[in-house]
Amino acid sequence: MLQESRGYGVISQWLEKKDFHPFEFQEQAWGQMMHGHSGLVNAPTGCGKTFSVFLGTLIQVINEHPKNYQTVAPGNLQLLWITPLRALAKDIGRAMEAVLTELQIPWRVGIRNGDTSTSERQKQKRKVPEILIITPESLHLLLAQKDCSAVFAQLRWIAVDEWHELMGSKRGVQVELAITRLIGMQVKKKNKISVWGISATIGNLEEAKQVLLAPIKEGGCIIRAKIDKKIEVHSIIPDEISEYPWAGHLGIKLAEKLIPIIEASNSSLIFINTRGMSETWYQTILNVAPQLAGAIALHHGSIEHELRAWVEDALHAQKLKAVVCTASLDLGVDFRPVDTVIQVGSPKGVARFLQRAGRSGHGPGEISRLYFLPTHSLELVEAAALKQAILENKIESKDPLLLCFDVLIQYLCTLAVGEGFDDNTILKEIRTSYCFADITDEEWKEVIMHITQGGIALNQYDEYHKVVLDNGLYKVINRKIAMRHRMHIGTIVSDAMLKVKFLGGGYIGVIEEYFISRLDPGDVFTLAGRNLELVMIKDMDVLVRKSSAKKSIVPSWNGGRMSLTANLGAILRETFNKALVDETEIEIRSLRHLFQTQATLSKIPRANELLIEQIESKDGYHLLVYPFEGRQVHEAMSAILAFRIAQITPISFSIAMNDYGFELLSDQPIPVDDSNVQDLFKTDNLFADIQKSINSAEMSKRKFRDIAVIGGLIFQGFPGEHKKARHLQSSAALLYKVFEEYEPNNILFRQAFKELMEQQMEEHRLRAALDRMYHSHILLCFPKQLTPLSFPIVVDGLNRNSLSSEKLEDRVRKMQEQLSKS
Amino acid sequence: MNAPIPYQIHDQNCWLSPQRAIFWENQSTLILSDTHYGKTGHFRKNGIGVPQAVFQEDMQRMVELLGFFKPERMVVVGDLFHSAANLELDVFAKWRRDFEQMEFLLVKGNHDILGEHWYQANQIRVQKERFQIGPFQFAHDPMAANDAPDGGFLFSGHLHPGVSLTGMVKQNLHFPCFYFSKTSCILPAFSKFSGTATVKKKKDNTIFAIVDHQLIEIVR
Repeated sequence: MLQESRGYGVISQWLEKKDFHPFEFQEQAWGQMMHGHSGLVNAPTGCGKTFSVFLGTLIQVINEHPKNYQTVAPGNLQLLWITPLRALAKDIGRAMEAVLTELQIPWRVGIRNGDTSTSERQKQKRKVPEILIITPESLHLLLAQKDCSAVFAQLRWIAVDEWHELMGSKRGVQVELAITRLIGMQVKKKNKISVWGISATIGNLEEAKQVLLAPIKEGGCIIRAKIDKKIEVHSIIPDEISEYPWAGHLGIKLAEKLIPIIEASNSSLIFINTRGMSETWYQTILNVAPQLAGAIALHHGSIEHELRAWVEDALHAQKLKAVVCTASLDLGVDFRPVDTVIQVGSPKGVARFLQRAGRSGHGPGEISRLYFLPTHSLELVEAAALKQAILENKIESKDPLLLCFDVLIQYLCTLAVGEGFDDNTILKEIRTSYCFADITDEEWKEVIMHITQGGIALNQYDEYHKVVLDNGLYKVINRKIAMRHRMHIGTIVSDAMLKVKFLGGGYIGVIEEYFISRLDPGDVFTLAGRNLELVMIKDMDVLVRKSSAKKSIVPSWNGGRMSLTANLGAILRETFNKALVDETEIEIRSLRHLFQTQATLSKIPRANELLIEQIESKDGYHLLVYPFEGRQVHEAMSAILAFRIAQITPISFSIAMNDYGFELLSDQPIPVDDSNVQDLFKTDNLFADIQKSINSAEMSKRKFRDIAVIGGLIFQGFPGEHKKARHLQSSAALLYKVFEEYEPNNILFRQAFKELMEQQMEEHRLRAALDRMYHSHILLCFPKQLTPLSFPIVVDGLNRNSLSSEKLEDRVRKMQEQLSKS
Repeated sequence: MNAPIPYQIHDQNCWLSPQRAIFWENQSTLILSDTHYGKTGHFRKNGIGVPQAVFQEDMQRMVELLGFFKPERMVVVGDLFHSAANLELDVFAKWRRDFEQMEFLLVKGNHDILGEHWYQANQIRVQKERFQIGPFQFAHDPMAANDAPDGGFLFSGHLHPGVSLTGMVKQNLHFPCFYFSKTSCILPAFSKFSGTATVKKKKDNTIFAIVDHQLIEIVR
């Protein structure tokens, strides 16, 4: 019994002294841990989820060493705490150290991530701390060390924090792979490792647990914190809503409405969806409320980490009224003073919305208060949909990734750089993971061939060299290649980043090379809320000086645009049923004029209807379809539709989409009418059409970029190394072209297709969506002008795809003719 | 092989080939740029598995050009080799021996870092700076050689010119191209393992886009 154990006695006494009482779920977790079980703790941030696992390990240690736990330390790694965010490590480490000190347990806590200094690393190497807090990337870096098995020799617990955030991403796959290795290392010993995940609520917790625990072949348990949090959502309604959504204005003109909210709150977090816009918002708030200078700050992933750390500390200490931030503050420890959260623009999903709301009002009984500021008026419908989703508790699932060969290739090279690997052992190990459970012998051979022979068969003048078989173990023996690999471990792909520094020294942050390459010396841009004048680019550094210029360019970071989840999309379709009918909710009521315009020009699609608009404008012929399935699904669906129409006649399309619908734009009339429109959505031959449309729309190009970087095909270059590595640089677009033409069977090139097929073009999901549309009542309208629904897609449609069934030369000739006419 | 198109420069007869080369008939000279031989080998040697078929195709295309035009001289306006020597360059050297009788000139490009002896051994006459044959001059970097040659005509490379075409409905196509002004020509990169830098059509310029296997003049 837990309650009778010595460890529980010590811990509960200590808690009592501090006037804390363990939550039921914490005791449940401790009980399970005492018996060496594994599992998943489901709890929101700020209610003791860290302690639910950490104290469990201490209880066990005290039970095992009741006499000497305060005098003898194991002297090697016991608990590995994996966290997705560097920013989290420090706070968790501090909290753990405080507990250890008070209980007089002589364990040390180490932190290992990109910010850890070399001297600290050396220290950890000499004497491994009992607890190591680490990111997935740094964990793989440890696996790339020659003596790594010694580090993990006595490991007993692996805790994975924020598992809901990691699962479904390639970082999650990295964690899965690392766990198979850590467990594989113990096989010959009696040592048994327990694995514990900590996750916020997602739709598929059971699956999340299965994925994490797969390597230990144990069912494990889910422990849920029954903590009911009250959430209040307020939409910020513009005074005037024009008939058209203000595409491109991005809601900046509502900034004034934020000031009273900020001033009435203790401390606010303002979530902005992109880094670029967060810079703009920060400036705008300062412009409309100069009195806030010094009391507001900016926090996003491209800001130098000391500055970020300062912002976080200031938030804790209640020194800031507001922080403008991106997903960079989504996770992590709680900032107690924060009592208000402002979400600017659609959060795209229910889970993220709840998570952000939860960043305010943590105390028991406190209410999480969230203000929603729309960036275009139609987003008010989303606000109404989100409220409904919260009422009905409809939270998204996160789908685990399967067979990510790029991550596997990187992992195998990591092992080869480290102690080397035996292919049978490792194949067995990775097959215990959820991600690679189904890898075939054939695929494994291909992967090994890729890292040892660089893909296709050798010819007599090939000198491919990376991983070699050395005394039965696969190893990297070339030091330069090993070094380059170590620098590239990770699955977060960004453009080549340059450091931004002041001429006189002082580091400000990082910026994408793509952005800076379009600027000339003398141009002024904004970073970390400062206006900076570009002086010159030297090696990998951008040298700047402060500028007092009024105008500046706001950088765009090419970060992935989030897509509306299918879950929220479905609720959104329902919400349109209320337009002009049920105006109880203020969001729907305030959009009356816009809905009326839509109804007059075209129609308002109800949940069982599919609206299609055909509009002729000076730009050409537009076909607009509104499935409300989110950008990702629209990208796939639009390609299929374009492909099917292009079978009717030779035609070229440019395709744009947003979360509500998509647009096919052509320079000739689009042959769609009442007689054939329904057939466009039929599910016959779907699989073949999917494959052909992927090819024609070159959709896998964007996917390939990340895969090429993770799989080690793109060498991004690093500070100082820049010049030496120049002869090894090539762009993803060029590599895509080369592989497409010369080696389309390459395992990494195929992966780009596979990811598309699984994540966006998943046949099953597309079939369901198309089937729904096929059986909806199709409303084919021919509005005389752009409608409120079409406006944001036509005006703002980014990420255009194209698809053509015309001959390339014909297209070139036509373009030339069109140009000479205009 | 797709037909080259005739192109008159001053009073000289030239042929533009969609195989990314120019044949100067009066002097029986084939002009190429940025072949970057050895690039795939260099990548592969460093553990980056790009398909070596690109190199094979590039070599093959060059041999086809030689078979078609039967030039007495070849001029490469820089970046003949991508980096340090490797086995791919041995293949090149072997090819060079097969065409021994042909004169071979190279204007050094920024990538041409091999030692003098290598060029000598393979009978490649290396020019460090711009040089002249008849009315034509040859240089690697068109920017570095910015002073317009008096009454002459300059061939260069380095840039890897490409042209973007925009159609009526936000369509966008991109092709490597030959870029001519009244006094100069920038050649497309010969290697298919090379990116492009976008050039814009101006009033006095002539651009030929390489569309699949043919050349199309870009009028606007």
